[in-house]
Amino acid sequence: MSTRFGDSAHLGDALSALLDGELVAAQEEVARAHVARCPDCAQELVAVRDARTWLRALPPVDPPFGFYQRILLDGGRPQFPANLRRRAGLAAFGAAAAAVTVLGVGSPSTRPVSPAVPRLVEAHATSASVGADLLSKLAPVGVPVSFGR
Amino acid sequence: MSGSGVPTWEDVARNHGRFLYTVAYRLTGNHDDAQDLVQEVLLRVRRGLETYRPGSLEGWLSRITTNTFLDETRRRKRRPVDLLPEESDRVVPPSLAADEALAGEVLPDDVQDALRRLPDDYRAAVVMCDVVGLSYQEISESLGVPVGTVRSRIHRGRALLRKALM
Repeated sequence: MSTRFGDSAHLGDALSALLDGELVAAQEEVARAHVARCPDCAQELVAVRDARTWLRALPPVDPPFGFYQRILLDGGRPQFPANLRRRAGLAAFGAAAAAVTVLGVGSPSTRPVSPAVPRLVEAHATSASVGADLLSKLAPVGVPVSFGR
Repeated sequence: MSGSGVPTWEDVARNHGRFLYTVAYRLTGNHDDAQDLVQEVLLRVRRGLETYRPGSLEGWLSRITTNTFLDETRRRKRRPVDLLPEESDRVVPPSLAADEALAGEVLPDDVQDALRRLPDDYRAAVVMCDVVGLSYQEISESLGVPVGTVRSRIHRGRALLRKALM
């Protein structure tokens, strides 16, 4: 594999690849030697290393309290926060949810219900809206207790 | 997990909710959009729209999240505050607290603010690399772009972010 870094006199994005361990050994050796004698690349390396350090130090972000619980209790239906209603993208989102509901409620079925109704009722007893949803039969779910956070 | 090994949306919500939310928040930069994005991801998982190959579940989730985010931003393109110059190498406006920012001493909120100002494609690559921890090859496969493009976006994204926090 070539150890050259394009035609540029400087390393450019190979500097980030160097930080990320994405260069093969021969390339890494050439890159390190270049940085040692090129002040511009040395400075750029420090800059992207700083950015990388700060990004990697960003903490995990918790969702608002009860966010996933509401979704789980609603059988995965979108919650439609206020800001979502203003968006053009909402149409497809709402249509999908509506289609699921219509399928579940409006389609007369000649086949036996599977799984058996009592089992479904038991599995979904805590969520009034889930029983009407065909998709939810794929993975019956009870009340979420915690999310291990 | 279901019997087939494919994660259900309930698995994702219960066991990977915090991870999913973190990725969504780092991509969107605010809680309202992060919640919308998470719900869209769960909907895609639920409807079986995303092929799962056994491996890193979080890598799979971050792929879905990032692509959903990019699909949505490309479709909308309607946030004036996020519009950036055509030439992506131009300096991003420094954050309000820039004069207080010293190397090694930067507040997470300022980093997030600078991240939010990056072009979407750069932000996606940077988040996958530095927040999720994926390799360039994994990011390349997730985004459907060459590894060289991934490398360039990560580097330019970091350089812009560093300039914004000078």
